[in-house]
Amino acid sequence: MTTFKTKTITIGLALGVAVVTLTGPVQADVNAPLAALGPPPIPLDNKQTPEKIELGKLLFFDTRLSGDASVACSTCHEPKQGWGFSGDISRGYPGTIHWRNSQTVVNSAYYGKLFWAGSAKSLEGQAPSAARGGVAGNLERDIGTARLAFIPEYRKRFKDVFGDEWPKIKNAWRAIAAFERTMVQTDTPFDKYMKGDKSALSEEAVRGKGIFEGKANCIECHNGALFSDQQYYNLGVPRAETWLDNGLAQITFRFEQYAKGVTQKMYRSIKDDAGFYYRTKQVDDKGKFRTPSLRYTLYTAPYMHNGTFFDLQEVVEFYNEGGGTNEFSANKTDLIKPLNLSEDEITDLVAFLESLSGDEIKMSSPKLPPYAPLPNPVK
Amino acid sequence: MTRRFPELVSLGGVLNIGMAMAIIVSFVFYSSDAPAHESGPVKAIKVDAKKAALGKRLFFDKRISGDSSISCASCHIPEKGFSDGMALSKAYPGSEGFRNTPTLINTAHKAAWFHDGRLGTNLNDVTREQLTEDYVMNMDMRIMQERAKQDPVYVQMFKDAGYGEPSNGSIRKAIPEYLKTLTSRGAPFDKGTMSDAAKRGAKVFHEKRCGSCHAGTRFSDDKPHNTAVPNNPDIWSDPMRHHTYVAFGLFMGIENIYNIRRDVGAHVRTHKVNGTDVGKFMTPTLRELKYTAPYMHNGTMKTLAEVVAFYNKGGGSDVNKSRAMRPLGMSGEQQADLVAYLEALSGDPLTGAEHVWKDAIPANYTAISDWLKTPN
Ligand code: HEC
Ligand code: HEC
Ligand code: HEC
Ligand code: HEC
Repeated sequence: MTTFKTKTITIGLALGVAVVTLTGPVQADVNAPLAALGPPPIPLDNKQTPEKIELGKLLFFDTRLSGDASVACSTCHEPKQGWGFSGDISRGYPGTIHWRNSQTVVNSAYYGKLFWAGSAKSLEGQAPSAARGGVAGNLERDIGTARLAFIPEYRKRFKDVFGDEWPKIKNAWRAIAAFERTMVQTDTPFDKYMKGDKSALSEEAVRGKGIFEGKANCIECHNGALFSDQQYYNLGVPRAETWLDNGLAQITFRFEQYAKGVTQKMYRSIKDDAGFYYRTKQVDDKGKFRTPSLRYTLYTAPYMHNGTFFDLQEVVEFYNEGGGTNEFSANKTDLIKPLNLSEDEITDLVAFLESLSGDEIKMSSPKLPPYAPLPNPVK
Repeated sequence: MTRRFPELVSLGGVLNIGMAMAIIVSFVFYSSDAPAHESGPVKAIKVDAKKAALGKRLFFDKRISGDSSISCASCHIPEKGFSDGMALSKAYPGSEGFRNTPTLINTAHKAAWFHDGRLGTNLNDVTREQLTEDYVMNMDMRIMQERAKQDPVYVQMFKDAGYGEPSNGSIRKAIPEYLKTLTSRGAPFDKGTMSDAAKRGAKVFHEKRCGSCHAGTRFSDDKPHNTAVPNNPDIWSDPMRHHTYVAFGLFMGIENIYNIRRDVGAHVRTHKVNGTDVGKFMTPTLRELKYTAPYMHNGTMKTLAEVVAFYNKGGGSDVNKSRAMRPLGMSGEQQADLVAYLEALSGDPLTGAEHVWKDAIPANYTAISDWLKTPN
């Protein structure tokens, strides 16, 4: 419970910083200390129950919750791929490709805002936007609702869990959110170490922790129990190469600009992902992305919003060089500077990053209940 | 996906159906089409050739559906009179259809579309409906537009057609322009080359007052009637079809949708509280029947002989059946003649290059080569 409280404080701090960043260049210099991870916050209006979680699990794996019934959440959040997608840029809905890297759902329960640019406010709100988006699930509410009604097992479960006479699609998203809140990992070597088991981390990792908190100053942004301040920064991550030579990717790129409502002028000229800007429409937010948690990253390669880096070593080298450049480099954060880490220091830092992941969370696809005709109506 | 209610649906709520239909019919009479009593060839509509050519390519292009798996022509097949030969249509993958695919030949002459007549505005709206409807093509039109912009052939065609760069608005204009080219021609009825049987059948058609509903050059009064066509049980026994009807019903606001086991028809448009509009369907054209079997809104009749036998016994049974439907007492010979007449209303197949896009349409997209320097 103490760690859970620490978590709450982290969020409080983070919000404070948000106000400061939006109003001026002043940065809060108190970083939430690294800590073991407690249980995730559970919203009062969507309590966890075993039945709800089980229903959410089925729905997470069910392709019928997409437009052409071919992709499930699990298609892009594959258990075997760290609950993300293997490629740099995620696959899309059939006939499309996505434009960002698929994030892991592991530990997503701790974020205040979801997605690389923080555009969803809760897991309950994130799920429908994933299911509906034209390059993700492309599902319309009516057809989704109708399909659920024709799966007797779901009718029964929605009734038991939510009291629905006929399954309501909004409750599907709530059940999925409940399932996602069980996809957490709080027993990594790092967590064990912080709880007193000093043998849980190798010597290298312990040295890496020191570098993380000291010389490399990763803790400036990757802080608290989640290893994320939940703020938005431009690190100068270079643009996705695929836009240069992939027709489908070029289509999605333009679609996203159109869908996110940028000005006509910007639509014509932009050649990179403006990230947080799409939410705030503030010029100096272009190219900023949410600091991701560093937990479970052992399994979630490739890294960054566009999957530019294929292993953690590459990421650390990127930081060591002081980040990179992109179309919006004017907004690149001052917090990223060349670090002058030696090769040994890099190795230690990577060892520490690896200690933030425990065992792989495995799960096989559940057997999904079939469609059946509706029983004759009661007169 | 944005969906707007057609103006006439809302009108229907205020005016009664008769008045609403009067508006449609007068529109048909005085603008584009021949008066109902006139029978003769359907008049060809003037089109802008370049816009229509663009519409033709779009009509046959699978890439304007959400997952790029079906085109308009997947259901509206030229060889089948732009219907599909099945009792109930297919749907977007993941669902199956609940209605028979109607012919699109002469559809540009209509003033209200779909078997229930629920769209009474224009073909631009019908096209949008087909593109975006989740069980038809499930297309996010913003993606559709960007796909068109990725294809150099389209970029050129839109330009030549005077539309500028590809946009979803001009796609919804170009397809209707193409649909306007689909006009019947060369039917024995029009050319004066009917067989004797067909000529005798024409007399039966008039004596039995088929023309009271099947009127005008297209043989349709564009009104809904209840002829009590039997239910098609395949819709309700197959969850793939039934769920599609439920999705449709949820969208249209059909009350008690989970407990309904029949297609309510024009009720979605007129919403009569007493339900007397339940089971009414739009009078279809009788042109091109040779190519468009099976028949009726739900494809329950396989042959024209079956249809004629159905009318002969006064239609089916329903509390709201039209009073115009009564046993006709036709002899076997009269029925055969009537069928011959109906067949004589079918013209030349519209399957040549004039109506069908014959060149291969790529399934993929080439990349814009100097992407960084090319404005989006
Ligand atoms: C076609 C691939 C695809 C499908 C299907 C898909 N996702 Fe995602 N998911 C992604 C991508 C890509 C992102 C990052 C997108 C962004 O930031 O814009 C993402 C992000 C997320 C996140 C945010 C995690 C974080 O750290 O903020 C969650 C949670 C999530 N998805 C859950 C789901 C659920 C639940 C479903 C099913 C309803 C689903 N996804 C379906 C690809 C997909
Ligand atoms: C200024 C804030 C900041 C600092 C300092 C910082 N990071 Fe990050 N980190 C981010 C942001 C923001 C991203 C996502 C950037 C993107 O996708 O464009 C990120 C991404 C990452 C990722 C990829 C995670 C994933 O799931 O893709 C890793 C690994 C990482 N950082 C490690 C580190 C390490 C190690 C350090 C110290 C050397 C460090 N970071 C310092 C903000 C920061
Ligand atoms: C999955 C099969 C399918 C596809 C794809 C499809 N249609 Fe249809 N179409 C139908 C069915 C079925 C109906 C009748 C629907 C109803 O009555 O509710 C119909 C009706 C129509 C009508 C009204 C005809 C009339 O006489 O009332 C038009 C016009 C039309 N479609 C045009 C198109 C166009 C243009 C496209 C491509 C953008 C298209 N359709 C794609 C199956 C399809
Ligand atoms: C009361 C108006 C009315 C009368 C009278 C009438 N019909 Fe019809 N007809 C309709 C309607 C409405 C439909 C469509 C019914 C449905 O789809 O459920 C139809 C459908 C048809 C069809 C099927 C067309 C297709 O494409 O599916 C044929 C053929 C037909 N009628 C022929 C005739 C003949 C022959 C007569 C005279 C014996 C006749 N009709 C009399 C209203 C009428």
